[in-house]
Amino acid sequence: MVMSLEGISLTRNGKQVLDNISGEIKAGKIIGLLGPNGAGKSTLIQSMARLLECEGSIKINGQNLEDFSALQLAQHLAYLPQHSQLQFPLEVEEVLSLATLPFSLTRLQQRQQVKQLIKDWGIERLADKDFRQLSGGEQQRCQIARTYLQLSNMVLEGKSKGKGQGIWLLDEPASSLDLEHQQQLQKVCRLAAAEGHCVVIVLHDLNQAYRLADEIWLLDKGQIRAQGKTSEVMTEQLISDVFNVSARRIDDAGESLFIFN
Amino acid sequence: MIKKLLISPLGWLFGILLSFGICIGALFLGSIDWQTLMHSEIGSKILWDIRVPRVLLAFVIGAGLSLAGVLIQSNVRNPLADPSLIGVSAGAALGAALMIVLADFVHIQAHYYIPVAAFIGGILATVAVLKLGRNDLPGGMALLILAGIAINVVAASFIGLLTYLATDSALRHITFWSLGSLASANYFWLSLCSIALLIVCLWLPKQHRKLDAILLGQAEANTMGVDVKRLQQQSIVLVALLAALAVSACGIIGFIGLVTPHIGRMLVGASHRYLLPLSFFLGGSLLVIADSIARTIIAPAELPIGIVTALLGAPVFIWLLLREGRRLQW
Repeated sequence: MVMSLEGISLTRNGKQVLDNISGEIKAGKIIGLLGPNGAGKSTLIQSMARLLECEGSIKINGQNLEDFSALQLAQHLAYLPQHSQLQFPLEVEEVLSLATLPFSLTRLQQRQQVKQLIKDWGIERLADKDFRQLSGGEQQRCQIARTYLQLSNMVLEGKSKGKGQGIWLLDEPASSLDLEHQQQLQKVCRLAAAEGHCVVIVLHDLNQAYRLADEIWLLDKGQIRAQGKTSEVMTEQLISDVFNVSARRIDDAGESLFIFN
Repeated sequence: MIKKLLISPLGWLFGILLSFGICIGALFLGSIDWQTLMHSEIGSKILWDIRVPRVLLAFVIGAGLSLAGVLIQSNVRNPLADPSLIGVSAGAALGAALMIVLADFVHIQAHYYIPVAAFIGGILATVAVLKLGRNDLPGGMALLILAGIAINVVAASFIGLLTYLATDSALRHITFWSLGSLASANYFWLSLCSIALLIVCLWLPKQHRKLDAILLGQAEANTMGVDVKRLQQQSIVLVALLAALAVSACGIIGFIGLVTPHIGRMLVGASHRYLLPLSFFLGGSLLVIADSIARTIIAPAELPIGIVTALLGAPVFIWLLLREGRRLQW
């Protein structure tokens, strides 16, 4: 599974939001999208999910994104948006079961998968609650779990066809998670990458990004300022420059920590 | 419990029996006792030519408006939406008002032409809304609602103009019609509305999970394999069909499309797997009950059914608003 972007540009109300962005996302890699507010991270990830129309070409395994039907796309790509906007009383279990929608599963299989997911993610307590009544962090966890289930199904569905990895697009998944669940998120991302999926994740916590991502795409004003291996991109100089802060990176025994003044 | 029942054959049987019971009750409710209805010639004429089509039409229209309400609310993800929001009812009302005033001027019997004019008005309004709304743009659903509001305003001002021009009798006719009545029910409208309802009922079973996905958000639905644009277009056309036919057959009946889906959600939640069948039975039964009240409470005169549904629906709706508002801080 490879996703390649070439010359992605997007203009909104006369303003250039994305400017000539190219890059390749390889199987088994975690790509961190970093940048200050308004840098174009969310716009880029939404373009990858075909939610916004943009110039340039985005391909999955060499096939143009536009050539996928809605259903085919959902069998290759799972997307977690920044916010949930549910207005109606759906139960958590019902929300989770939607992850099986793009796949041809029986009702029994769907229920078993959701049950297993609830157990694996330790959200038994939330299963029959109204999704809207959960806290922001709980909603976030459920949504991450939902997209992860969609991703897992790509493996199951794809096995017969000889492929079966997917692309996991996460737009600020950690924004309202507590420490414990941030770590759980990291674990799941690594697991997904180890299974051969491409993971693209928008993060604000630079330390978390440093620990998690294999590659960083550093965005600023719609352009890519730097792109490459995490340790090479996240230098004191570049981070200070792009985020307009004074950053110090402390390297110690293979671990690194950013401190800001 | 209700949920399990709703998707089991037993639940359907129960729903059908209950609705059937309500319809039978409604059939024999009125100033003529059931013995006269069953055993005299004039009685059986009243029963088969007036009451049977009327009660059945009430059920079909109630169920149709209720399903239309669920569809439109889910598609625009707005719990306060109802079929009249996209301008269908207003367009139909304008068509009817125009016909009433015209018929009065040229002295023809408007009775048969009003529903046809209403239907044409409703469909024209829908086409206008779809053209103006440009559902293919991002955020198109909001545009669609704004277009619907614009059509509503235009239609309302033209109806205002027509009432100004209308004679006294035409004015009374417009007013009565705009409040809705099932008094002119016949087998023609019953079969037409039933066919429309059947089309929707055949279309729905494959859509319920897609509609659930749309509730979560357009982006989520799109990335879960739902062709949101297509689903929304199909839904709008079907809502327009149901609403235009309902308005044509019996005038404007408010609140059923708005309130029934909410009552359904309070009972079984928003999952369409349960909500759609429940809304079908609830909407149908509610309109049969409302119509029975409308034609018996001040017998031998009749109350417009719009007044009854509004009187029943408005308090429920206000209570709902207060309850939901407190819980979710809208």
